[in-house]
Amino acid sequence: MTTAVQPAGGGGLGRPSGGGLADVIDTILDKGLVIDAYVRVSLVGIEVLAIDARIVVASVDTYLQFAEAANRLDLTQTEEQGIPGLMRDLQEGGAKYKTRGAIEGVGEKLREFVGMDDAERSVPRRRRRSGEE
Amino acid sequence: MTAPGQTRPAEKVRDTACYVYGILPGDVELTPDARGLRDYDVDLVRHGEIAALVSDIDLGGPIGRPEDLTAHERLLDDAAVEVPVLPMRFGAVLTSREAVERELLAANHDQFLAALDEIEGRVEYTLKGRYEERAVLREIMSENPDAAGLLEQIRDRPEELTRDARIRLGEFINQAISAKRDADTQWAAQTLGEYARASVPRRPTHPEDAVQVAFLVETDRRSEFEKAVAKVAEEWQGRVTLRLLGPMAPYDFVVTPSPGA
Repeated sequence: MTTAVQPAGGGGLGRPSGGGLADVIDTILDKGLVIDAYVRVSLVGIEVLAIDARIVVASVDTYLQFAEAANRLDLTQTEEQGIPGLMRDLQEGGAKYKTRGAIEGVGEKLREFVGMDDAERSVPRRRRRSGEE
Repeated sequence: MTAPGQTRPAEKVRDTACYVYGILPGDVELTPDARGLRDYDVDLVRHGEIAALVSDIDLGGPIGRPEDLTAHERLLDDAAVEVPVLPMRFGAVLTSREAVERELLAANHDQFLAALDEIEGRVEYTLKGRYEERAVLREIMSENPDAAGLLEQIRDRPEELTRDARIRLGEFINQAISAKRDADTQWAAQTLGEYARASVPRRPTHPEDAVQVAFLVETDRRSEFEKAVAKVAEEWQGRVTLRLLGPMAPYDFVVTPSPGA
């Protein structure tokens, strides 16, 4: 069997329209195989310039914003379409430098899919990044 | 031979390296127009029955500009529609192609091959939903008299005078949204899980996130799955704004357990 790797979407759904940079960051900086787990000797500690994958930390600011949003809410109004929150993606997370180097010693194994469709699906664990938040 | 007065460059400083995007089966072929990071050529380093998708890159500085990130993902996502792909997290760089073959492919050949078998014919989708703020706030106020009472206390009064009540109300809302998120995530994973091989919840990335779940879907059930998602979107119309990303490489289904696990 020989299969071609196609560089551009050939039919089907095509590229998702909503996949912006924030989505890409959440995926490729937070998921996927970590090379350090497989290779040590020839690893190149290249500096990766990136916005860190985002996590939610509830703070007093969040609470005050929620309260103000509720304050603006007109409860007598029956139904009104809210403003889609898509634009807010842009404001999330702060840009910062991050170096991903050769120093992490995290063991990595591939997830086994065998038996996953049994009633009890186990949820794969994610690597916990140290030293953040 | 060095000319007088000329400084010799430091010994053994490498100026190129091999960037690895992911692992594929060894019997794939690249289309000639495949482009990688910074428009570099993309190539395959093969070993046994597997191959690594790579680019030779210059080590002139840091990587990770927005275009670099999207190039990495696009290349793998496009490939994943055609062949099984084990995606690397962004930033995997080895000294040379020889190192990729010897240390990455040869050393982990059987493990990678088994994983590729597992994902053959499957792709990932990520479902992301955000609550419509006003709709979810109305829901919370109508379900919780205590919250509605707090809201009355702060109603149209200056923030300086109502700060404590505002914080309590906001915390209440935050917890209520968390509870809704858990319930909605579970419901979506269950409802759509019927059309998927597996699902994994993702961590929320915004306080008003309603749902973030990755699904591993059989290629021949893609349209069925997408239709089911459309139905969920319809059901949540006006309450949750849904987006479906994919098909993409199965980033959420190759994981790193903690050391010693």
